[in-house]
Amino acid sequence: MKRLIALMILSLMAHESIAKAVVNVYAWGGEIPNRVIHEFEKKSGIHVHFSTYDSNETLYTKLKAVRDGLYDVILPSSYYIERMVQQDMLQPLDHSQLSNLHNLDSNFIHNDFDDENKYSVPLLWGATGIFYNQSLVRDPPISWSNLWETPLKNQLLLLDDSREIFSIALMRLGYSPNDTTPQHIEQAYQQLLKLIPNVKLFSSEGIQSILIDEDASAGVVWNGDAFKAHAENKSIKYLYPKEGFVLWVDALAIPNKAPHPKEAYAFINFLLRAGVAKQIGIIQGHAITNAAGKALLPLAIRHNPMLYPPKDTMEKGSFQHYPGEETVALLNAYWQQLKLAF
Amino acid sequence: MSASGFIGLLAGKYCCPMKTKPIAFFITFTWLSIFSFLPMLLILIASFLSKDSLNLVTFPFTLDNYSHLLSGPFANILLRSIAAAFLTTGGCLLLAYPFSYLLIKSKHQSLLLILIIIPFWTSSLVRTYALLSILKFKGIANALLLKLHFIETPLNLLYSNTAVIVGLIYTLFPFMVLPIFSNMEQFDFKLLEAGQDLGANRLDSFFRIFLPNTAPGITTGCLLVFLPAMTLFYIPNILGGARSILLGNLIQNQFLVFENWPQGAATSVVLTLSIVLLLSFYRRPPKEFVN
Amino acid sequence: MRLLKKIYLGFIYFFLYAPIIMLIMYSVNNTRYSLIWQGFSLRWYHELFVDSGLWAAFFHSVWLGLSAAFISTTLGLLTCIQLFFTRRKKRRFFYALLVLLIVIPDLVFGIASLLFFNFSGIPLGFVSLLIAHITFCLPFVIYTINSRIHTLDPNLYFSALDLGASRVRALTQILLPLLWPAIFSALLLAFTLSFDDVIISYFIAGPDYNILPLTIYSLVRAGVTPELNALCTITFLISMVLVIIANKLKRVSP
Repeated sequence: MKRLIALMILSLMAHESIAKAVVNVYAWGGEIPNRVIHEFEKKSGIHVHFSTYDSNETLYTKLKAVRDGLYDVILPSSYYIERMVQQDMLQPLDHSQLSNLHNLDSNFIHNDFDDENKYSVPLLWGATGIFYNQSLVRDPPISWSNLWETPLKNQLLLLDDSREIFSIALMRLGYSPNDTTPQHIEQAYQQLLKLIPNVKLFSSEGIQSILIDEDASAGVVWNGDAFKAHAENKSIKYLYPKEGFVLWVDALAIPNKAPHPKEAYAFINFLLRAGVAKQIGIIQGHAITNAAGKALLPLAIRHNPMLYPPKDTMEKGSFQHYPGEETVALLNAYWQQLKLAF
Repeated sequence: MSASGFIGLLAGKYCCPMKTKPIAFFITFTWLSIFSFLPMLLILIASFLSKDSLNLVTFPFTLDNYSHLLSGPFANILLRSIAAAFLTTGGCLLLAYPFSYLLIKSKHQSLLLILIIIPFWTSSLVRTYALLSILKFKGIANALLLKLHFIETPLNLLYSNTAVIVGLIYTLFPFMVLPIFSNMEQFDFKLLEAGQDLGANRLDSFFRIFLPNTAPGITTGCLLVFLPAMTLFYIPNILGGARSILLGNLIQNQFLVFENWPQGAATSVVLTLSIVLLLSFYRRPPKEFVN
Repeated sequence: MRLLKKIYLGFIYFFLYAPIIMLIMYSVNNTRYSLIWQGFSLRWYHELFVDSGLWAAFFHSVWLGLSAAFISTTLGLLTCIQLFFTRRKKRRFFYALLVLLIVIPDLVFGIASLLFFNFSGIPLGFVSLLIAHITFCLPFVIYTINSRIHTLDPNLYFSALDLGASRVRALTQILLPLLWPAIFSALLLAFTLSFDDVIISYFIAGPDYNILPLTIYSLVRAGVTPELNALCTITFLISMVLVIIANKLKRVSP
């Protein structure tokens, strides 16, 4: 018996010391499919430790609260990239190790949060718009203001995200969603207080089943979720309001003290391949940033206006920027007050 | 050294009173000191520091975090959380007390007890979502009620305070049952017979014999339910539609969203201290401590 | 009256198991997102068997839970036995400290531990998880075993010594068998607490030791996938089988 135990311990230790190449990936849940990860492991021989988070704030806190480098590849949203660059948390990217970088759509190479991909490689993007269930709603809400109307009492699903919902109120008032003026934000708060009677629930997760099972008849969701819901319930419609809408981008980056930078580059370069990007686009149902990959997508997805709106619609979208610490604190304080008004 | 020798070393040879060193006790005490009290001490210290966006906390020392608690929404949120926890504890108690009694009287005690714990080995998150699917607009509950013609149109059971309380009761039920059961098990039912011999009626027997003797189990059960009920955040988020902010959400917000670790630390300290105070007022030492 | 009692028990168990039944039904439901019945299908079980990530997380959680349960129960048991023989004053102080630990919300403890591990340089991973899990299981274990140990008559132990038994023998053959139900409950409780812990692990888990609750927490972002339901169904069936076996064994042994 003792010999058996000793043998087991030895074999465990041996397994660890074979020193397989490893990469620690920390990403949003539901954005990098398992299949892609397995393919990468097979093709490169690098083992992937994949963990996920459910908010940029958790990612940021984990990176700050841990002394030595823990993660090699992270997937923050665009405005968090801005913030992390300001605080020196990311490594500048060595483009010579990213041979597939040219596959990216030029809109995401020359973007306004990290021009020329100095620190980040955009992977997925999306927009926040209005969904409604045409069998339950008489007059489709075509602008943000329509959400405030009384027939929608206790019907709305809103994203549980302070910035997204404040952006809507700001846009309703005619301001930019990235507006940081305290007075404007206060006005937006007053508007949102009036919206409360119409709100049935807040959620940023499990959105598809809420839409498909008709627990909410209208509201504010991301286009990817509406697209997937539409596949199982044809009554779900999605549109981009005329006042404008918010665009989000999630981009891959390498934190400063990454323990395995070489493997990190290998992973990112793999995700930049056209075929891999296409797989991500099909499996996850979000819009991809990879132009070469997009060309490979089936027509039904490539030309779907929900996921890839036409150019004139895209002009009305604005990317989220980092509004600065004080504005974020202000937004969050108002958001908390808002929830207390229920 | 053989296994029994090792155990003997830790306990058998050293646990006679006043004679030798209680090693296991010291190990436990040291372990808890390092891995439990030290972290809490760090939180206490952090609560007096100031917020810093680069390093989470920084000097100077300040009492601001505590004074902010008095002015902010903390009192409001605390009251709501206490109300929710109260309802949950009450509901659990009402369900668990008769349940434990019936369990004691039954012949398959341990089996029935384990049957309560088994659901807990399936993730409570997944079960909460399963509860969601039952209470949905098009869920089983509504379907059943419609079929039995109790209602005409489906009810909006979800995304309400009721749904949250139901979810909390569901999740915390075993924590009420186990202490009450293990305490009731030691109750000598002959006491009831003796009481009846002396002329007590059923009500008297219950209130003056049974209830006081099972009180320690009740208090422990309430303790184990009340606290998580105040600070669990994912159940109000999922079943309540994230429409309200309870203590759990507040503390989480302070640490993760506002990134004000000192403030979050202060809130945590105040919460813990107020619970301890509450306990010291209402809790009589249970019988086992008195002996 | 008897019928009423049976109905009440039945109602409670129904209430407890209804979500589990739903879970099982969804694991064979032929749809990905909808929560309405769309036809029978075993494809989620197939996807589950192919998803090695989820299985790895499952086994990690089981291993972590077993380790934490055994270590904390052993330590807790021995501590309780020693406390049994110490003076009342020391005991009351220690119990008060334990109460303090139970009172601390998971959330606060998780964050405090994160601070502590940062401060002390202990890496986040299996080690940090094991330490934290043992730490939060200990008070519960001690409480459970204590509630039983105090019903015992210490004279049983001393009379055994008087009759010539060694201390170890008195311990293992007199005290332990009497305490066995409490030890078993403590083990079960500790394992359950560790296996299902989301909040504390959320803060202190490292990249190389994925555990099930965290994987689930992140997967539900896209909605509970039926594979999760399949996994939970399997967990449930395994535990039921174990219980039935244990019950049969109890009947058989003298």
